[in-house]
Amino acid sequence: MAERKLQIAIYWGAGCGGCDVAVLDTNEFILDVAALADIRLWPIATDGKYSDVEAMADGELDLTLFNGAVRNSENEHVARLLRAKSKVMVAFGSCAHLGGIPGLANLSSKREIFETAYLDNPSIEPGSTALPLPGTRTEAGELEIPVFYQRVYRLSDIVEVDYTVPGCPPAPEQVKTVLLAVAQGALPARGSIVGASERCVCDDCPRVKKEKKVRAFHRPWQIIQDQELCLMEQGILCAGSATRSGCGVRCPNSGMPCRGCYGPAPHVVDQGAKLVSAVSSIIDSKDPGEIERILDGVPDIMGYAYRFGLPGSLLQRSHPHA
Amino acid sequence: MAFEPRIVGFLCNWCSYTGADLAGTSRVKYPPNVRAIRVMCSARVDPTFVVKAFREGADGVLICGCHPGDCHYSEGNYKTMRRVPMLKRLLADYGIEPERVRLEWVSASEGQRFAEVVGEITEAVRRLGPCRIKSNLETDLAER
Amino acid sequence: MDCRIGVYVCNCGTNIAKVVDCDEVARAVRGMPGVAVVRSYKYNCSNPGQEMIVQDIRDLGLDRVVVAACSPRMHEPTFRKALAMGGINPYFLEMANIREQCSWVHDDPRAATDKAIALTRAAVRRVALHEPLEKRYVDMNPSTLVLGGGIAGLTAALELAMSGQPVILVEREDHLGGNLARTDLTAPFLDSARDLLRDRVARVSGNPRVTLLLRSELKELQGFVGNFMARVGPAGIPAGEADQTYPVGSVVVCTGYQPFDAARIASFGYGRLPDVVTSFDLERMLREGRVLTDKGKPPRYAAIIHCVGSRSETWHPYCSRVCCMTALKYGHEIRATNPDCFIYDLYIDMHAFGKGMEDFYRRSAEIKTIFILNEKNSVPEILPAEPRHGCGMLIRARDMLCGEDVEIPADLVVLMVGMEARHDAGKVAHVVNISQDKDGWFIESHPKLDPVATTTDGVFIAGTCSSPKDIPDSVAQARAAVARILAKIARGRIEVDAVYAEVDEQSCSGCRMCNELCPYAAIAYDEEKGRSHVISALCKACGTCVAACPSGAIKGRHFTDAQIFAQIEGVL
Repeated sequence: MAERKLQIAIYWGAGCGGCDVAVLDTNEFILDVAALADIRLWPIATDGKYSDVEAMADGELDLTLFNGAVRNSENEHVARLLRAKSKVMVAFGSCAHLGGIPGLANLSSKREIFETAYLDNPSIEPGSTALPLPGTRTEAGELEIPVFYQRVYRLSDIVEVDYTVPGCPPAPEQVKTVLLAVAQGALPARGSIVGASERCVCDDCPRVKKEKKVRAFHRPWQIIQDQELCLMEQGILCAGSATRSGCGVRCPNSGMPCRGCYGPAPHVVDQGAKLVSAVSSIIDSKDPGEIERILDGVPDIMGYAYRFGLPGSLLQRSHPHA
Repeated sequence: MAFEPRIVGFLCNWCSYTGADLAGTSRVKYPPNVRAIRVMCSARVDPTFVVKAFREGADGVLICGCHPGDCHYSEGNYKTMRRVPMLKRLLADYGIEPERVRLEWVSASEGQRFAEVVGEITEAVRRLGPCRIKSNLETDLAER
Repeated sequence: MDCRIGVYVCNCGTNIAKVVDCDEVARAVRGMPGVAVVRSYKYNCSNPGQEMIVQDIRDLGLDRVVVAACSPRMHEPTFRKALAMGGINPYFLEMANIREQCSWVHDDPRAATDKAIALTRAAVRRVALHEPLEKRYVDMNPSTLVLGGGIAGLTAALELAMSGQPVILVEREDHLGGNLARTDLTAPFLDSARDLLRDRVARVSGNPRVTLLLRSELKELQGFVGNFMARVGPAGIPAGEADQTYPVGSVVVCTGYQPFDAARIASFGYGRLPDVVTSFDLERMLREGRVLTDKGKPPRYAAIIHCVGSRSETWHPYCSRVCCMTALKYGHEIRATNPDCFIYDLYIDMHAFGKGMEDFYRRSAEIKTIFILNEKNSVPEILPAEPRHGCGMLIRARDMLCGEDVEIPADLVVLMVGMEARHDAGKVAHVVNISQDKDGWFIESHPKLDPVATTTDGVFIAGTCSSPKDIPDSVAQARAAVARILAKIARGRIEVDAVYAEVDEQSCSGCRMCNELCPYAAIAYDEEKGRSHVISALCKACGTCVAACPSGAIKGRHFTDAQIFAQIEGVL
């Protein structure tokens, strides 16, 4: 008798598809996955429908990997649906974990976003006032589209999340680790972050750390880098010291500073605030005027500190909103 | 009812908290809007605390330390001097007016000055009006 | 919440209760999670008050205590002892300051009570997260560094050496005695300063336990109480190879004062008019035994002006304490050399506060010194006289008693210059890590109850470096500082605060943001392990590294993120 195959779903909310590609990037391993699991829903790759999921019994799915943030009512609806039908719900990737890049939309209001997309836009007919509405009546009947929310949410703001796999996207090796762990029933305590280290990127980064004193901040392209030395010590804004490791230090190894996609260290409540604290502390000046000039070398503090984590931060979005 | 700002103060034990106590022993009167939290040095003030204060409903935050050069721990206040400007720029990106956060140097013998600082930040925040963060986040939930 | 918190809202007599409704504060916290008992009481710091807390701990099984009362800077040690007596760790205490920062500064009872409630709630929330901390003990080096060889420094050095303890006495000049060495006789008994000093200087110089370093200054002081390393080198040049390092357990700062520069007050003509001299100039004349004008004649009229640079809105607001009696002394001394001289004493108030001083004032009047009560903040003007006046100079001043402007004849004018903080006091303060007040004087731990200790454990101040005072007070302070040090030496070890920072090795990623931030070099980096750790004996618990650590791997004991978050939530 064939062993019951694992029933899994892989779904995307407000995301880019990169996390789905990361699963595919496990290469031959995906065939092993296909062998031990039935993928019941995977919009990027298979033809499952929402109605199929609605028809399932609660807990019929062993595992859902939910990537992407929650931006609209469809994302929320499917998140709740999959939560009900799944034994294990995993927030997969930065967007589901922290809000991700789409989370930066929280710096604008819904009204501002719609104005930019549908009104004040070179590709829109001047004078057009057409904006999406959640519902409309036509001859054929009522038509609905999802409601665009005022702000972006993390998956954990909407449903209870059992495990989180961080990263933008999670490293393929970590994807394997997680899938195998589920298959073998060898998962850690509920609520854990899996497929990542308990320390920060600096722990795995091969660059040499000598003395943290910065007199000027630089964009990566503004200086000729020392390939061996810590990027932060060269004045390049690296988020690695405040970011969980597990990604293989792909970015600093390629001469680019860590962007912070694996999220904060364990027990850190607000990754961006901690980054601001650390980086400003090492400014090598005691003169207020000079400090301001050095800070002028950081053109986008919000983008540096909260590139992936704005919805998950303490303040979550910009205030005021329209 | 007139808006009464709620301001969280972080006072360093050796200079500003002592200065605030001196205002007390001298019976200097000042507005009741600042609620002080004692830290050993202003350098203990993690920007996360300021963000947390706004999250919990503060309208303003006052950080007080020793005058530059006089820090009981030698250089702590210089770190505060570096952190607060970067924090204020970040808060501006969040839409929070920089006048809601104030860094002041108050020594142990400046009781009168502490009272003046409290009066000034209370008025500055009163003019800005309530900080909407906590109420915004609560009304956000209503849309879903 | 599985803790049992006792909350005590102190009325402090009427100090708090007059403005803050203590019963309402008590009611407001009664229902909070973890609160086992709430009491509103008259004087919690009193013996019955403390006993009540001790009894409650025993009877009600309290494991944490909040006292909403005066400033923790006042009574935190008191209540910590009460907890210890009750048998629980003293760090399970939190105080809410509802007096100095509430009832004493706010008039509106409603607003003050609301604030007191917020502060007390914050304290309750914080104390729930306190952890039991254990005291640390470090050795006490019996050696002491005394900075300054004036009367205070000599007294301190001698007391220590006579008690059998080693002393290193560091003096900037090439001789001992400080400002007192420039003095002839002392008020009010007209003892010879030279005699006072000669004996002390000889005993200090000859004592085998005293290492005397003249022409030297303290360059750097590292370490902590009981375990300092003092780097001493030649005065006036930057730190370098000629320096020596001395391990010491305590430091007594006796760096003294400098006289106010009379040339700053133009109307006195000091520096222009040759017969206008300062008190120190006169002392030199007195030591030589001759008081003469610049032209070599004995003065017929001598005027002494009080409060030069002191008690003034323009110069220094404080009183320099010793000058009034010294001025009277000059009256006697000038008369002794010039029996026919008329002495005019221009004063604002006569400060004759000490033992024998009123008598001295009376005796000065008996020798017919003419006292002229000057108006405060008015500055007499000194002008060269014309030949018809029969004197060298005229002093134009306002006489308050007859309400008229007067012109006082003078062949010699003595300016009683006040004391001010030394120009290098800031540097000294920085090196030993003590604070200065707005006038530059070193700040004591408590102006009434702890006048010789400072906020830096192990560093004491004595003599005029902390405020103007006379010889008896300087000597008393020097002895007081020595008594404190001897007490510590007798105990053999020192209790050091249990509060310090710790790096969690499980969380440290070796980013090294912290190492350079510590002013005490207390965070070491292990190259092999790739981790940092705090040397707790050097840590002063400022919290800089705790705030800066981007991975939250450094914990500030007793000032953790969680505890401070709880306070933030509680006050709002």
